Amino acid sequence: MTDVQQEQAAVTRAGVEDFLYYEAALLDEWRLEEWLDLFTEDAVYEIPATDLPGHVESDTSRTYALVYERRTLLEQRVIRLKKPTAHAEFPHSRTRRLLTNVRILGAAGDEVMASANFIVFRGRNGRDVFYVGRYEYVLRRGSDGLKIRHRKAVLDQATLDPHGKISIIL
Amino acid sequence: MAIQSPLIIDDRERGLFRVHRSAFTSEEILALEREQIFSKAWLYVGHESELPKPNDFVTRGVGGRPVIFNRDRDGRIRVLLNTCRHRGAEVCRLSSGNSKVFACFYHGWAYDNTGRLVSVPDGDAYSASFDRGQLGLYQPRVESYRGFVFATFSDEAPALVDYLADARYFLDIIADQSANGMEIVAGTHYYSMNANWKLLMENSVDGYHALTVHQTYFEMMMNLGTTPPGVDGQRGIGRGIDLGNGHAVAMNPELGSPIMSPDILEEKRRWRASLVDRFGEEHATLIANVTRNMDIFPNFAIVDLGFGIQVRTMFPTAPGHTEIVGWQLVPGDVSDAHKTYRLDNSLTFWGPAGMATPDDVEGLEQCQRGFAVKEVEWSDISRGMGRDMPPIVDELQMRVFWREWNARLTGASYQREGAPHDSSYLGAAT
Repeated sequence: MTDVQQEQAAVTRAGVEDFLYYEAALLDEWRLEEWLDLFTEDAVYEIPATDLPGHVESDTSRTYALVYERRTLLEQRVIRLKKPTAHAEFPHSRTRRLLTNVRILGAAGDEVMASANFIVFRGRNGRDVFYVGRYEYVLRRGSDGLKIRHRKAVLDQATLDPHGKISIIL
Repeated sequence: MAIQSPLIIDDRERGLFRVHRSAFTSEEILALEREQIFSKAWLYVGHESELPKPNDFVTRGVGGRPVIFNRDRDGRIRVLLNTCRHRGAEVCRLSSGNSKVFACFYHGWAYDNTGRLVSVPDGDAYSASFDRGQLGLYQPRVESYRGFVFATFSDEAPALVDYLADARYFLDIIADQSANGMEIVAGTHYYSMNANWKLLMENSVDGYHALTVHQTYFEMMMNLGTTPPGVDGQRGIGRGIDLGNGHAVAMNPELGSPIMSPDILEEKRRWRASLVDRFGEEHATLIANVTRNMDIFPNFAIVDLGFGIQVRTMFPTAPGHTEIVGWQLVPGDVSDAHKTYRLDNSLTFWGPAGMATPDDVEGLEQCQRGFAVKEVEWSDISRGMGRDMPPIVDELQMRVFWREWNARLTGASYQREGAPHDSSYLGAAT
């Protein structure tokens, strides 16, 4: 085995779980700038349209996704969400993320593919909603640990009813 | 409970316009809307590009009815009501596909995709009076205009082109954007709001709310070094226009430029030049350098902000709950890079996970919550009333909707507001 392969072999499911649980905690605590620091410079955050859940890539030359953002726009999303004028999230929602069924799906070069199931609770204005689905991650291993290169949230709900919107980071 | 009378106050002399808030909360009014509006008006079903091949179909709700929107074996676009003539079950249970036959799984009655009943298991058991020819899938009247397909459940509705009135002109401007036809992009935004459907019809053509509700969107765009279209509305340019029959548009010169690479800018220049070749300078400017938010009565909105075209329908399931469907329409003959530019901008702004639409939904849900205050009976929609050429931050567009709505429910007649549309305003704006 080369040195690189040995390093990948060191990425365990427990290590990925620790990373994802930490990420979920940052989001639930609205520590969004710290959350952003988990991403690589070439990162993508996406949520496919609910009628195209099986799409391999919600590439914006082909499909009208719910979210398809590279780092620059993701930074803007975080800046926006922290403002009191981001009306849909002011006051902030309470959220709670439950991640289960974490699996390492494969590795290539310095990247690890992982998936997890999620239920994300959002409570605001006396209305509670639950988003249910699956995360697909591409995590890049670097000198300062794991970073997110691709984060895809695939919803199982066919329609955003009663949610009405995804104003939080899903 | 009796229905409130009057439902609107339309005082042209004093320049005051009010809507009674029971319009947003009353079950009786919703029942009347179902009967007088959603069973009689022309309703948008879908775009022809959603059905590229013979036998393609999609299923969806139109006016509260489940329908199959399909292209039959001969290529003709149809709308088949999705209920078996036997005992009622939906004969198609898929959201989309390609099929020559729709068979009901309950007792096995089967229909071809022209709606004809072609198979009844053990059909010999029926009497001679049982007429299969009369038992095809029910088909409402269907007409299309420039690729936009509409249906009505009424025999008395006028021809679609007459119903659309001056809105035709703006559908032309959208359809003319591609020599190869416009296309709906795969991927549909299905969402909802806990608010009355009419609030979203208002919001879809409302220039007044843009800078307050979407402040963070404009700040974001300016952070990225762009000038978002629409900011200039506050300067009192652009125009709200009464298009007749309850349709209205807010049009505004496109002065900003959204997220765009130099390559796309160059491609857009070539695209505009091709429009000048096809239609001349004036029409090309209308197509390529003007934004438009258009409501087509009762529940169809098209918002063309230059960087993308959002097509949207809404339907009430209760006075305080609305199902919304959003699609993205693009010119069929532009490059993949141009489509990506449009989709990047469109889903950054629109859609239930964009950076603008969630704040609209929040605003409309806040209005609905406020309607619980019964002491305040009226909403005010008077801004700019009586002006011949109201800018888009005025509220003519909403008054146009409400007058038609009121006429449908109460039989009242009304006059159109504002100067008739002509295109000369563009010269004044540039």
